[in-house]
Amino acid sequence: MSAIDDLVTELAQLPGIGRKTAQRLTFYLLKQPAETAGRLAEAIRQVRERVTSCSACGTLTDVDPCAICTDPRRDAALLCVVEEASDVAAIERAGRFRGRYHVLGGRLSPLEGVGPEALHVDHLLARVANGDGVREVIIATNPSMEGEVTATYLQQTLKPTGVRVTRIARGLPVGGDLEYADGVTIAQALLARRDMSEAD
Amino acid sequence: MALVTTSAVVLQTYRYSETSKVVRLATRELGVQSAIAKGALRPKSRFGAGLELLSEGSAQLYFREARELHTLGAFDLANLRRDLAADVGRFAGATVLAEIMLKMAPPAPLPAAYDAFTAALDALAGASPDAIDAAGVRGIWLLLGVLGFEPSLGTCVRDGTAIDPDGTDPVSFSVAEGGVACPSCAPAPPLARLPRQAYRDLLALNDAAAGLPRLDAPHAAAHRRLVARFVRHHFGEAGPLSALDFWERRAWVSPPPSTPVPSAAS
Repeated sequence: MSAIDDLVTELAQLPGIGRKTAQRLTFYLLKQPAETAGRLAEAIRQVRERVTSCSACGTLTDVDPCAICTDPRRDAALLCVVEEASDVAAIERAGRFRGRYHVLGGRLSPLEGVGPEALHVDHLLARVANGDGVREVIIATNPSMEGEVTATYLQQTLKPTGVRVTRIARGLPVGGDLEYADGVTIAQALLARRDMSEAD
Repeated sequence: MALVTTSAVVLQTYRYSETSKVVRLATRELGVQSAIAKGALRPKSRFGAGLELLSEGSAQLYFREARELHTLGAFDLANLRRDLAADVGRFAGATVLAEIMLKMAPPAPLPAAYDAFTAALDALAGASPDAIDAAGVRGIWLLLGVLGFEPSLGTCVRDGTAIDPDGTDPVSFSVAEGGVACPSCAPAPPLARLPRQAYRDLLALNDAAAGLPRLDAPHAAAHRRLVARFVRHHFGEAGPLSALDFWERRAWVSPPPSTPVPSAAS
């Protein structure tokens, strides 16, 4: 197998990239200066070597603890529980949450063999119980069936600690169109309606 | 290619490319089928919330006999079954039913299996909190029955001798042979021994028309173990049964401190 075939095969393993796209990327790289390909290779090597899970919250970071966990301006009383590290990035992009995070590392999925022992639930309980000053846990698992079951499980597991447990709201997306929304989403949006005087 | 409209329940989904999903569906008209739902991950997908695990609706499938992966044209949601997500025990029982359909139901019409499956999901969703285990166990037994694995409970699985449900002696149960054995057929060492009350409960659990037996926690656990052993014995070759394991050991509940555990259905 040639070096070209090797790279095509490796690129084609990536999500969303088929063999044709992998070939296009390979030939694009071959047309670039050698330094460009070198920088890409080095960036991939560095990300694998330096990025680890934050020992406090479980998100991906190249300094441990991560910048969010060590930021004194963050509200340690608010803990947002998410399924994956990529969810932290999504919430951070919104720029409105000023608390800290806890990454579960997945969601309950019996059909895929994922039980509570595979999630970082013990660590979550330890963070809540160890006097870190957590007053509210916001469960931000996905609004899928498994995400909802995980939220139910977490709510029951956290109940004895006495901490306030909340769930992120579900409803219509900003910029969405009622006409195209499905009935379940509209029903959820109606259930979660609020007084307009509360709106910010 | 034929366009087939059929009632269906989503058994499993996984991502396919950046925008699509592959769904495994239990359908009433076509058995268990796989289909690609193109664009299902787009924000304005026509599938909306429909392709959630265990949701039921009317599926429009572009169906080709010779193919294993069909195309899902539409899925009109009828029942999202969100109530199951509000209780981990209900959800766990429902995933066992889905796992049995995935592993054991054929890709061919079997309306009785579809009806037993959806009836069991409805029963789980509607069961009172103290009857969730019994509803799950019953749903599994009844589903196994329509899939061709109904246990022989009224007569001896070996010689056909009728078993008296009002007797007092324990009843032997052979997981391997798929039913109860009369005293003259039960060899030594004995098979699993069901106390008479457990036997009567098992009869009721296998009879959709009977009232749901009230099972306390140890006996619910014993019935879970019995049906789980039955499934593993007969379908162990179908690969890992992770949802069955999760449900049988109640993985979401912290184990109580050293409580005595009764043996299988005793």
